[in-house]
Amino acid sequence: MRKYMNILYGFFKASAIADLEYRLNIVMKVVTDIIWYLAQVSVFEVIFRNVDQVGGWNLHSARVFIAALFVVDSIWMLLFSENLDRLSDKVRRGELDLLLSKPVNSQFMMSFQRLSTPYLINILITIGYLNWAFFSLPEPPSGWRLLMLIVLVPCSLMITYGMRFFFSAAALIFARAENINYIWWQFYRLGMRPDALYPPWLRYIVLTVIPVGFLASVPARLILGSNEWGFIVAAIGLGAFMVWVSTRFWAFALKRYSSASS
Amino acid sequence: MIQPILTAGIEVALWTAIFAGSGQATIGSYPRESYLAYALWAAFFARISSNWMYEFRMIEEIDTGSVNSVLARPISFYEYYLSQFLGYKVITSLISLTVPFILTLFIGVSTYHSRFPAALLLVFFYLVLVHTVSFSIASFAFFFNRIHSLTMAKNIALWLLMGELFPLDLIPEPYRSWVIHLPFSSGVYIPVGYLTGRLGHADLLKAFVSVALGLLVLAPASSALWLAGRKRYSGTGA
Repeated sequence: MRKYMNILYGFFKASAIADLEYRLNIVMKVVTDIIWYLAQVSVFEVIFRNVDQVGGWNLHSARVFIAALFVVDSIWMLLFSENLDRLSDKVRRGELDLLLSKPVNSQFMMSFQRLSTPYLINILITIGYLNWAFFSLPEPPSGWRLLMLIVLVPCSLMITYGMRFFFSAAALIFARAENINYIWWQFYRLGMRPDALYPPWLRYIVLTVIPVGFLASVPARLILGSNEWGFIVAAIGLGAFMVWVSTRFWAFALKRYSSASS
Repeated sequence: MIQPILTAGIEVALWTAIFAGSGQATIGSYPRESYLAYALWAAFFARISSNWMYEFRMIEEIDTGSVNSVLARPISFYEYYLSQFLGYKVITSLISLTVPFILTLFIGVSTYHSRFPAALLLVFFYLVLVHTVSFSIASFAFFFNRIHSLTMAKNIALWLLMGELFPLDLIPEPYRSWVIHLPFSSGVYIPVGYLTGRLGHADLLKAFVSVALGLLVLAPASSALWLAGRKRYSGTGA
């Protein structure tokens, strides 16, 4: 474990140095995400100017939902976005062959090798927005509920990682998996709306089969005062299960992988 | 094809939930069917109105120096990529717009099918503007390394300004007028609004004028940017 923490620290340093080389790119990455946040916020702000409630969510609770989504998304962007978005490319260019020969877990290498350090700024922005949204609630629940995010956010990330990794690692089997990645983005979009908006059958799917409901809906509901404690247990269990499934799938895909560089 | 179908499905679910939860018969003076039709068409029009692939290619060409082979041809870089971009969009439009066209014929959401050719014509006129914006952004590759984030920022901003996320008439004034009068609303809001009956012929004509004005402003600016970039260009990769 310590060895992997040291490697992760090394990745962080190397990535930060590489990012600092292109300073305009850092600014653009941060600005791009802020524009994305504005686009998402505007959807809810505009809708709730015209209606009071949607699926049991009002403007204030929707702000907490979207803030929770941003926090998870910004950490995701820091840790996994570049690694998993480019996994298909790495496989095609034969970079995986080099990683397979190293005395380190190849899945770990593929998942964490390149951290997008500009998103550290976005993490601060999104945590600030979450705090504002939470304490702007007309009757904010006890502040300790925010602490639940210490457990819920890593669980959301693990669940999302399990799903995303499945789509990315498909590149080992299909060689060109860009279009599969587009499908992943559509599933992800399902998680960008509160699950209560969906019809019962789709809500069931986003909480079980494609559990993108755990991305922000479940954390937001819990910090907003819901007492559905079973969801915390489900989030922890599902998070662990999804990571385990990803390791099994990686092993399965590697067995079918024929080197790209030789 | 799957991508816009899923997007449309999510947006239709959202608007269905909004109407079910609000208990209102209309929102912003339009009924549920109008929003469902908008959500359905918007996902497909947005797919046609955006430019990712060709903008990345243009940037790549300048970054790697393979632009040299285009510069030596008897066609400008702008025209070379415009012809490819429009050709690609004709094919994708023919394939992807068939889905909402047939769906709206059967499910009875408000759509004026006779308005389809005019709406599509506006989108293709707008694509010339989109390409001009892409050309300007690609020209920045002469000055900076790694400008892919600029494409991302631009496309996400257009995602909002085109009206894919929600009909632009829901935005409060004065922002509504500003956003609608910008040429970018011609990517989704105007053609889809016209097709679904939210907007009339006059709005469509105004949109053509708006795009034309946008081109008048942007074309010289992008041309100047390209020429300045070429002066700096040292022919890497030649």
